[in-house]
Amino acid sequence: MRGAAGLGLLLAPLAIGCVNAPIYFNSPTPILAVTGMPDANNQPPRVENGMSLRFRNPTKQEQQGLDAQTAALGFMVPWIQRANVHIELTFDVTNTDTKDGTFFIGIDGANEYTKYDENIVAMALQAGNNNAPTYIPLCPVTPQIVPAGKTVSGTVREDDFNEGELDLDAIGRWMAPFNAVLINNSQVNPIGLDMVPKNVVLPALTEIDVNFSANAMMTCNYEVRVRDDNDQLLHDSGDTLFSPTPALFQPPAMTATTN
Amino acid sequence: MSWLLWGARVEAQVTSEPSAVVFPDPAKFAHGLYTEGELGAVAFFGPAGHDVAPGFAVGARVGYDLWSWLAVQAHFLGSTHSITGDSPQAGQLLQTYQAIAEGKLTWRFGQTSIFGEGGAGLERLSTNVLYTLMIERYRIGLTAGGGGGFDYHSLSRHFSVGVRGDFFWLREISDSRDLMATTYLRYTF
Repeated sequence: MRGAAGLGLLLAPLAIGCVNAPIYFNSPTPILAVTGMPDANNQPPRVENGMSLRFRNPTKQEQQGLDAQTAALGFMVPWIQRANVHIELTFDVTNTDTKDGTFFIGIDGANEYTKYDENIVAMALQAGNNNAPTYIPLCPVTPQIVPAGKTVSGTVREDDFNEGELDLDAIGRWMAPFNAVLINNSQVNPIGLDMVPKNVVLPALTEIDVNFSANAMMTCNYEVRVRDDNDQLLHDSGDTLFSPTPALFQPPAMTATTN
Repeated sequence: MSWLLWGARVEAQVTSEPSAVVFPDPAKFAHGLYTEGELGAVAFFGPAGHDVAPGFAVGARVGYDLWSWLAVQAHFLGSTHSITGDSPQAGQLLQTYQAIAEGKLTWRFGQTSIFGEGGAGLERLSTNVLYTLMIERYRIGLTAGGGGGFDYHSLSRHFSVGVRGDFFWLREISDSRDLMATTYLRYTF
Protein backbone atom coordinates (compact mmCIF):
# COMPACT_ATOMS: atom_id res chain seq x y z
CA MET A 1 0.00 0.00 0.00
CA ARG A 2 2.81 2.38 0.89
CA GLY A 3 4.55 1.46 -2.32
CA ALA A 4 1.47 2.24 -4.37
CA ALA A 5 1.08 5.56 -2.61
CA GLY A 6 4.71 6.36 -3.28
CA LEU A 7 4.29 5.45 -6.91
CA GLY A 8 1.28 7.72 -7.19
CA LEU A 9 3.23 10.54 -5.61
CA LEU A 10 6.02 10.04 -8.10
CA LEU A 11 3.72 9.99 -11.10
CA ALA A 12 1.74 13.04 -10.01
CA PRO A 13 4.18 15.49 -11.65
CA LEU A 14 3.76 13.59 -14.89
CA ALA A 15 0.00 13.98 -14.71
CA ILE A 16 0.42 17.68 -13.99
CA GLY A 17 2.79 17.94 -16.92
CA CYS A 18 0.16 16.50 -19.25
CA VAL A 19 -2.07 19.47 -18.49
CA ASN A 20 0.41 21.82 -20.12
CA ALA A 21 0.05 20.69 -23.70
CA PRO A 22 0.05 23.67 -26.03
CA ILE A 23 0.03 23.28 -29.78
CA TYR A 24 2.56 25.20 -31.87
CA PHE A 25 2.16 26.55 -35.38
CA ASN A 26 4.98 27.79 -37.54
CA SER A 27 4.66 31.04 -39.40
CA PRO A 28 3.76 30.66 -43.06
CA THR A 29 6.60 30.48 -45.53
CA PRO A 30 8.29 32.42 -46.90
CA ILE A 31 8.98 34.26 -43.67
CA LEU A 32 8.35 37.99 -43.47
CA ALA A 33 11.21 39.96 -45.02
CA VAL A 34 11.66 43.60 -45.96
CA THR A 35 14.43 45.39 -47.80
CA GLY A 36 14.27 48.53 -45.71
CA MET A 37 13.88 50.72 -48.80
CA PRO A 38 11.10 53.31 -48.28
CA ASP A 39 8.04 53.09 -50.47
CA ALA A 40 6.55 55.78 -52.72
CA ASN A 41 5.16 57.58 -49.67
CA ASN A 42 8.56 57.52 -48.02
CA GLN A 43 7.30 54.98 -45.52
CA PRO A 44 9.17 51.87 -44.44
CA PRO A 45 8.12 48.84 -46.47
CA ARG A 46 5.42 46.64 -44.96
CA VAL A 47 4.69 42.99 -45.43
CA GLU A 48 1.99 40.83 -43.93
CA ASN A 49 1.13 37.19 -43.55
CA GLY A 50 -1.03 35.20 -41.24
CA MET A 51 -2.68 31.96 -40.38
CA SER A 52 -6.11 30.64 -39.64
CA LEU A 53 -6.43 28.39 -36.64
CA ARG A 54 -8.45 25.36 -37.64
CA PHE A 55 -11.08 24.42 -35.11
CA ARG A 56 -13.67 21.68 -35.21
CA ASN A 57 -17.40 22.24 -35.27
CA PRO A 58 -19.24 21.78 -31.99
CA THR A 59 -20.86 18.45 -31.32
CA LYS A 60 -24.62 18.33 -31.11
CA GLN A 61 -24.44 18.41 -27.33
CA GLU A 62 -22.00 21.30 -27.35
CA GLN A 63 -24.20 23.23 -29.78
CA GLN A 64 -27.19 22.71 -27.53
CA GLY A 65 -25.16 24.08 -24.65
CA LEU A 66 -24.20 27.16 -26.67
CA ASP A 67 -27.80 27.70 -27.73
CA ALA A 68 -29.01 27.44 -24.16
CA GLN A 69 -26.35 29.87 -22.99
CA THR A 70 -27.22 32.27 -25.81
CA ALA A 71 -30.89 32.15 -24.87
CA ALA A 72 -30.10 32.73 -21.22
CA LEU A 73 -27.74 35.66 -21.80
CA GLY A 74 -29.62 37.30 -24.62
CA PHE A 75 -26.64 37.62 -26.95
CA MET A 76 -24.60 35.28 -29.08
CA VAL A 77 -22.20 33.02 -27.27
CA PRO A 78 -19.18 32.19 -29.43
CA TRP A 79 -18.02 28.65 -30.01
CA ILE A 80 -14.34 29.60 -29.81
CA GLN A 81 -14.09 31.48 -26.54
CA ARG A 82 -11.25 33.52 -25.12
CA ALA A 83 -11.62 31.67 -21.83
CA ASN A 84 -10.79 28.36 -23.50
CA VAL A 85 -8.33 29.23 -26.24
CA HIS A 86 -5.15 31.00 -25.16
CA ILE A 87 -2.83 32.39 -27.82
CA GLU A 88 0.77 33.49 -27.59
CA LEU A 89 3.14 34.54 -30.35
CA THR A 90 6.92 34.57 -30.18
CA PHE A 91 9.08 36.14 -32.83
CA ASP A 92 12.68 36.60 -33.90
CA VAL A 93 13.67 39.62 -35.94
CA THR A 94 17.05 39.52 -37.64
CA ASN A 95 18.71 42.58 -39.08
CA THR A 96 20.57 41.36 -42.15
CA ASP A 97 21.57 44.89 -43.13
CA THR A 98 24.88 46.65 -42.57
CA LYS A 99 23.20 49.42 -40.59
CA ASP A 100 21.08 49.49 -37.46
CA GLY A 101 17.35 49.62 -38.00
CA THR A 102 14.01 49.77 -36.26
CA PHE A 103 11.22 47.28 -36.79
CA PHE A 104 7.49 47.49 -36.19
CA ILE A 105 5.16 44.56 -35.65
CA GLY A 106 1.41 44.81 -35.45
CA ILE A 107 -0.89 41.87 -34.97
CA ASP A 108 -4.40 41.78 -36.37
CA GLY A 109 -6.81 38.95 -36.81
CA ALA A 110 -10.34 37.77 -36.74
CA ASN A 111 -12.73 36.11 -34.38
CA GLU A 112 -15.77 34.24 -35.58
CA TYR A 113 -17.73 37.50 -35.96
CA THR A 114 -15.29 40.21 -37.01
CA LYS A 115 -12.04 40.56 -38.91
CA TYR A 116 -9.76 43.49 -38.26
CA ASP A 117 -7.09 44.65 -40.70
CA GLU A 118 -5.00 47.65 -39.70
CA ASN A 119 -4.10 48.30 -43.32
CA ILE A 120 -7.75 48.72 -44.27
CA VAL A 121 -8.28 50.98 -41.30
CA ALA A 122 -5.18 53.02 -42.14
CA MET A 123 -6.42 53.50 -45.68
CA ALA A 124 -9.77 54.69 -44.38
CA LEU A 125 -8.11 57.07 -41.96
CA GLN A 126 -5.88 58.40 -44.71
CA ALA A 127 -8.68 58.97 -47.19
CA GLY A 128 -9.01 62.61 -48.07
CA ASN A 129 -5.75 63.79 -46.62
CA ASN A 130 -2.06 63.54 -47.34
CA ASN A 131 -1.02 62.44 -43.90
CA ALA A 132 1.22 59.46 -43.44
CA PRO A 133 -0.87 56.35 -42.79
CA THR A 134 -1.58 55.59 -39.18
CA TYR A 135 -1.55 51.91 -38.29
CA ILE A 136 -3.47 50.83 -35.22
CA PRO A 137 -3.06 47.09 -34.70
CA LEU A 138 -5.13 44.88 -32.44
CA CYS A 139 -2.02 43.84 -30.54
CA PRO A 140 0.83 46.30 -30.91
CA VAL A 141 4.47 45.42 -30.33
CA THR A 142 6.80 48.12 -29.09
CA PRO A 143 9.18 49.11 -31.91
CA GLN A 144 12.75 48.10 -31.26
CA ILE A 145 16.13 48.97 -32.68
CA VAL A 146 18.11 46.01 -33.98
CA PRO A 147 21.85 46.46 -34.48
CA ALA A 148 23.22 45.37 -37.82
CA GLY A 149 23.66 41.62 -38.03
CA LYS A 150 21.86 40.95 -34.75
CA THR A 151 18.66 39.13 -33.81
CA VAL A 152 16.16 40.14 -31.17
CA SER A 153 13.36 37.99 -29.82
CA GLY A 154 10.06 38.90 -28.31
CA THR A 155 6.78 37.52 -27.09
CA VAL A 156 3.25 38.73 -27.53
CA ARG A 157 1.80 37.20 -24.43
CA GLU A 158 -1.56 35.68 -23.75
CA ASP A 159 -2.69 38.76 -21.85
CA ASP A 160 -1.77 40.92 -24.85
CA PHE A 161 -4.01 38.73 -27.00
CA ASN A 162 -6.69 38.86 -24.29
CA GLU A 163 -6.73 42.63 -24.63
CA GLY A 164 -6.85 42.48 -28.41
CA GLU A 165 -9.68 39.95 -28.31
CA LEU A 166 -11.70 42.16 -25.98
CA ASP A 167 -11.13 45.16 -28.25
CA LEU A 168 -12.05 43.25 -31.39
CA ASP A 169 -15.29 42.02 -29.90
CA ALA A 170 -16.06 45.49 -28.57
CA ILE A 171 -15.69 47.14 -31.98
CA GLY A 172 -17.27 44.25 -33.86
CA ARG A 173 -20.36 43.50 -31.82
CA TRP A 174 -20.75 46.32 -29.33
CA MET A 175 -20.16 49.43 -31.42
CA ALA A 176 -17.17 50.61 -29.45
CA PRO A 177 -15.10 53.43 -31.01
CA PHE A 178 -12.26 51.42 -32.49
CA ASN A 179 -9.44 53.90 -31.98
CA ALA A 180 -10.38 54.50 -28.35
CA VAL A 181 -10.44 50.85 -27.39
CA LEU A 182 -7.40 49.89 -29.42
CA ILE A 183 -5.18 52.67 -28.17
CA ASN A 184 -6.19 52.34 -24.53
CA ASN A 185 -5.48 49.39 -22.31
CA SER A 186 -8.86 48.37 -20.95
CA GLN A 187 -7.40 47.63 -17.53
CA VAL A 188 -6.04 51.15 -17.29
CA ASN A 189 -8.69 53.06 -19.16
CA PRO A 190 -11.82 51.18 -20.24
CA ILE A 191 -12.96 54.04 -22.43
CA GLY A 192 -15.27 52.93 -25.20
CA LEU A 193 -16.28 49.67 -23.56
CA ASP A 194 -19.52 51.00 -22.08
CA MET A 195 -21.71 48.96 -24.41
CA VAL A 196 -19.99 45.68 -23.72
CA PRO A 197 -22.12 43.62 -21.32
CA LYS A 198 -20.46 42.74 -18.06
CA ASN A 199 -21.28 39.07 -18.58
CA VAL A 200 -20.11 38.96 -22.18
CA VAL A 201 -18.55 35.73 -23.37
CA LEU A 202 -15.63 36.89 -25.45
CA PRO A 203 -14.61 35.14 -28.65
CA ALA A 204 -11.00 34.17 -29.20
CA LEU A 205 -9.08 34.89 -32.36
CA THR A 206 -9.43 32.27 -35.04
CA GLU A 207 -7.14 34.07 -37.44
CA ILE A 208 -3.85 35.81 -36.70
CA ASP A 209 -2.25 38.26 -39.10
CA VAL A 210 1.21 39.71 -38.58
CA ASN A 211 2.27 43.02 -40.12
CA PHE A 212 5.98 43.64 -40.25
CA SER A 213 7.77 46.81 -41.17
CA ALA A 214 11.38 47.94 -40.83
CA ASN A 215 13.66 50.68 -42.06
CA ALA A 216 16.53 48.27 -42.69
CA MET A 217 16.80 44.87 -44.36
CA MET A 218 15.24 42.49 -41.83
CA THR A 219 13.43 39.22 -41.54
CA CYS A 220 10.78 38.20 -39.04
CA ASN A 221 10.15 34.59 -38.11
CA TYR A 222 7.44 33.74 -35.63
CA GLU A 223 5.46 30.89 -34.17
CA VAL A 224 2.06 30.79 -32.55
CA ARG A 225 1.34 28.79 -29.43
CA VAL A 226 -2.23 27.82 -28.62
CA ARG A 227 -3.43 26.34 -25.37
CA ASP A 228 -6.67 24.63 -26.25
CA ASP A 229 -8.41 23.85 -22.97
CA ASN A 230 -11.43 22.09 -24.47
CA ASP A 231 -9.72 20.29 -27.33
CA GLN A 232 -11.43 22.39 -29.98
CA LEU A 233 -8.58 22.46 -32.48
CA LEU A 234 -9.26 20.20 -35.43
CA HIS A 235 -7.39 16.91 -35.34
CA ASP A 236 -7.07 14.14 -37.86
CA SER A 237 -10.36 12.67 -36.82
CA GLY A 238 -13.91 12.58 -38.10
CA ASP A 239 -14.61 16.12 -36.91
CA THR A 240 -15.59 18.74 -39.44
CA LEU A 241 -13.91 22.10 -39.85
CA PHE A 242 -15.44 25.11 -38.18
CA SER A 243 -15.64 27.75 -40.91
CA PRO A 244 -16.78 31.11 -39.60
CA THR A 245 -17.27 34.02 -41.99
CA PRO A 246 -16.31 37.11 -40.01
CA ALA A 247 -17.29 40.50 -41.36
CA LEU A 248 -14.41 42.81 -42.19
CA PHE A 249 -14.42 45.77 -39.87
CA GLN A 250 -14.85 49.03 -41.75
CA PRO A 251 -14.15 52.17 -39.75
CA PRO A 252 -16.66 54.99 -39.97
CA ALA A 253 -15.83 57.47 -42.72
CA MET A 254 -13.41 60.05 -41.52
CA THR A 255 -13.87 63.73 -42.14
CA ALA A 256 -11.36 65.04 -44.64
CA THR A 257 -8.81 67.36 -43.20
CA THR A 258 -6.33 69.60 -44.87
CA ASN A 259 -2.80 70.09 -43.70
CA MET B 1 35.42 -28.83 50.15
CA SER B 2 37.61 -27.64 47.35
CA TRP B 3 38.05 -31.11 45.93
CA LEU B 4 34.29 -31.25 45.42
CA LEU B 5 34.38 -28.06 43.32
CA TRP B 6 37.32 -29.28 41.28
CA GLY B 7 35.52 -32.48 40.57
CA ALA B 8 32.45 -30.59 39.19
CA ARG B 9 34.44 -28.59 36.65
CA VAL B 10 33.51 -29.20 33.00
CA GLU B 11 36.14 -28.73 30.30
CA ALA B 12 35.12 -27.34 26.86
CA GLN B 13 37.25 -27.55 23.77
CA VAL B 14 37.02 -26.04 20.27
CA THR B 15 37.48 -28.85 17.84
CA SER B 16 37.08 -26.98 14.49
CA GLU B 17 37.27 -23.43 12.97
CA PRO B 18 33.96 -21.54 13.18
CA SER B 19 32.38 -20.79 9.82
CA ALA B 20 32.80 -17.22 8.57
CA VAL B 21 29.80 -15.05 9.41
CA VAL B 22 28.54 -13.01 6.44
CA PHE B 23 27.00 -9.78 7.65
CA PRO B 24 24.65 -8.68 6.39
CA ASP B 25 23.61 -11.89 4.75
CA PRO B 26 22.31 -11.11 1.18
CA ALA B 27 20.13 -14.19 1.42
CA LYS B 28 18.13 -12.31 4.03
CA PHE B 29 17.46 -9.38 1.72
CA ALA B 30 13.89 -9.22 0.52
CA HIS B 31 13.27 -10.54 -2.98
CA GLY B 32 10.28 -10.39 -5.24
CA LEU B 33 8.06 -7.43 -5.98
CA TYR B 34 9.82 -4.08 -5.72
CA THR B 35 9.27 -0.42 -6.51
CA GLU B 36 11.78 2.31 -7.14
CA GLY B 37 11.50 6.08 -7.18
CA GLU B 38 14.16 8.03 -8.99
CA LEU B 39 15.31 11.60 -9.52
CA GLY B 40 17.87 12.85 -11.97
CA ALA B 41 18.37 14.39 -15.36
CA VAL B 42 17.80 13.59 -18.99
CA ALA B 43 19.95 14.96 -21.80
CA PHE B 44 19.33 14.60 -25.53
CA PHE B 45 21.88 13.80 -28.19
CA GLY B 46 21.64 13.76 -31.92
CA PRO B 47 19.19 16.03 -33.79
CA ALA B 48 17.23 16.90 -30.66
CA GLY B 49 20.43 17.65 -28.77
CA HIS B 50 20.82 20.92 -30.66
CA ASP B 51 17.41 22.26 -29.69
CA VAL B 52 16.47 20.62 -26.38
CA ALA B 53 18.28 21.49 -23.17
CA PRO B 54 18.97 18.85 -20.52
CA GLY B 55 16.22 18.71 -17.96
CA PHE B 56 15.07 17.47 -14.59
CA ALA B 57 13.64 13.96 -14.49
CA VAL B 58 11.46 12.00 -12.10
CA GLY B 59 10.56 8.38 -12.54
CA ALA B 60 9.46 5.12 -11.05
CA ARG B 61 9.95 1.42 -11.59
CA VAL B 62 7.85 -1.56 -10.63
CA GLY B 63 9.57 -4.88 -10.96
CA TYR B 64 9.83 -8.46 -9.87
CA ASP B 65 12.90 -10.51 -9.00
CA LEU B 66 12.57 -13.80 -10.84
CA TRP B 67 15.86 -14.92 -9.32
CA SER B 68 18.46 -13.11 -7.31
CA TRP B 69 20.23 -12.22 -10.55
CA LEU B 70 17.36 -11.61 -12.95
CA ALA B 71 14.40 -9.28 -12.75
CA VAL B 72 11.79 -7.81 -15.05
CA GLN B 73 10.52 -4.28 -14.53
CA ALA B 74 8.34 -1.54 -15.94
CA HIS B 75 9.93 1.88 -16.04
CA PHE B 76 8.14 5.22 -16.20
CA LEU B 77 10.12 8.44 -16.52
CA GLY B 78 9.09 12.02 -17.11
CA SER B 79 11.41 14.91 -17.72
CA THR B 80 11.00 18.57 -18.46
CA HIS B 81 13.14 20.57 -20.88
CA SER B 82 13.36 23.95 -22.50
CA ILE B 83 13.92 24.63 -26.16
CA THR B 84 17.24 26.25 -26.94
CA GLY B 85 18.72 27.76 -30.06
CA ASP B 86 17.79 30.87 -32.03
CA SER B 87 14.32 29.89 -33.22
CA PRO B 88 11.15 31.62 -32.02
CA GLN B 89 10.42 28.45 -30.07
CA ALA B 90 13.46 29.03 -27.84
CA GLY B 91 12.48 29.09 -24.20
CA GLN B 92 9.33 27.04 -24.63
CA LEU B 93 8.93 24.13 -22.24
CA LEU B 94 8.61 20.52 -23.29
CA GLN B 95 7.94 17.41 -21.24
CA THR B 96 8.91 13.92 -22.29
CA TYR B 97 7.39 10.73 -20.95
CA GLN B 98 8.87 7.30 -21.41
CA ALA B 99 7.37 3.94 -20.53
CA ILE B 100 9.72 1.01 -20.99
CA ALA B 101 9.59 -2.73 -20.30
CA GLU B 102 13.00 -3.84 -19.11
CA GLY B 103 15.02 -6.85 -18.10
CA LYS B 104 17.69 -6.51 -15.43
CA LEU B 105 20.75 -8.61 -14.58
CA THR B 106 22.38 -8.19 -11.18
CA TRP B 107 25.76 -9.26 -9.78
CA ARG B 108 25.79 -8.96 -6.00
CA PHE B 109 28.85 -8.53 -3.80
CA GLY B 110 27.53 -8.52 -0.26
CA GLN B 111 25.76 -5.26 0.38
CA THR B 112 26.65 -3.86 -3.00
CA SER B 113 25.78 -4.92 -6.49
CA ILE B 114 26.17 -3.80 -10.05
CA PHE B 115 23.53 -4.30 -12.64
CA GLY B 116 22.82 -4.00 -16.32
CA GLU B 117 19.39 -3.45 -17.82
CA GLY B 118 17.74 -2.85 -21.13
CA GLY B 119 14.42 -2.84 -22.88
CA ALA B 120 12.04 -1.15 -25.26
CA GLY B 121 8.91 0.92 -24.99
CA LEU B 122 7.23 4.15 -25.94
CA GLU B 123 8.13 7.80 -25.55
CA ARG B 124 5.68 10.66 -25.74
CA LEU B 125 6.20 14.40 -26.00
CA SER B 126 3.85 16.83 -24.32
CA THR B 127 3.68 19.20 -27.28
CA ASN B 128 4.41 19.34 -30.99
CA VAL B 129 7.13 21.95 -30.58
CA LEU B 130 9.78 19.59 -31.97
CA TYR B 131 7.50 18.99 -34.94
CA THR B 132 7.58 22.70 -35.72
CA LEU B 133 11.37 22.47 -35.56
CA MET B 134 11.18 19.56 -38.02
CA ILE B 135 12.77 17.15 -35.55
CA GLU B 136 9.79 15.13 -34.45
CA ARG B 137 7.67 12.98 -36.74
CA TYR B 138 5.06 11.81 -34.25
CA ARG B 139 4.47 12.73 -30.65
CA ILE B 140 4.47 9.05 -29.69
CA GLY B 141 7.28 6.79 -30.80
CA LEU B 142 9.37 3.74 -30.17
CA THR B 143 12.32 3.86 -27.82
CA ALA B 144 14.88 1.20 -26.97
CA GLY B 145 18.15 1.03 -25.12
CA GLY B 146 19.79 0.13 -21.86
CA GLY B 147 22.37 0.93 -19.27
CA GLY B 148 23.54 -0.02 -15.84
CA GLY B 149 24.25 1.14 -12.36
CA PHE B 150 25.42 0.55 -8.85
CA ASP B 151 23.24 -0.47 -5.92
CA TYR B 152 23.92 -0.32 -2.19
CA HIS B 153 21.64 -2.30 0.10
CA SER B 154 20.93 -0.91 3.54
CA LEU B 155 20.90 -3.06 6.67
CA SER B 156 17.13 -3.08 6.38
CA ARG B 157 16.05 -6.06 4.35
CA HIS B 158 13.76 -3.86 2.23
CA PHE B 159 15.64 -0.71 1.22
CA SER B 160 18.49 -0.02 -1.12
CA VAL B 161 19.77 3.05 -2.95
CA GLY B 162 21.76 3.45 -6.11
CA VAL B 163 22.71 5.37 -9.18
CA ARG B 164 22.14 4.42 -12.79
CA GLY B 165 22.60 5.64 -16.32
CA ASP B 166 20.62 4.56 -19.35
CA PHE B 167 21.00 5.48 -22.99
CA PHE B 168 17.96 5.23 -25.24
CA TRP B 169 17.25 5.60 -28.93
CA LEU B 170 14.17 7.66 -29.87
CA ARG B 171 12.97 6.66 -33.29
CA GLU B 172 10.34 9.34 -33.91
CA ILE B 173 12.54 12.20 -32.75
CA SER B 174 14.71 11.85 -35.84
CA ASP B 175 16.65 8.97 -34.29
CA SER B 176 17.87 11.14 -31.43
CA ARG B 177 19.16 9.56 -28.25
CA ASP B 178 18.67 10.46 -24.62
CA LEU B 179 20.80 9.78 -21.58
CA MET B 180 19.04 9.30 -18.27
CA ALA B 181 21.18 9.69 -15.19
CA THR B 182 19.28 9.15 -11.97
CA THR B 183 19.62 8.22 -8.35
CA TYR B 184 16.98 6.01 -6.84
CA LEU B 185 15.52 4.54 -3.69
CA ARG B 186 14.28 0.98 -3.92
CA TYR B 187 11.82 -0.83 -1.70
CA THR B 188 11.44 -4.57 -2.01
CA PHE B 189 8.30 -6.01 -0.46
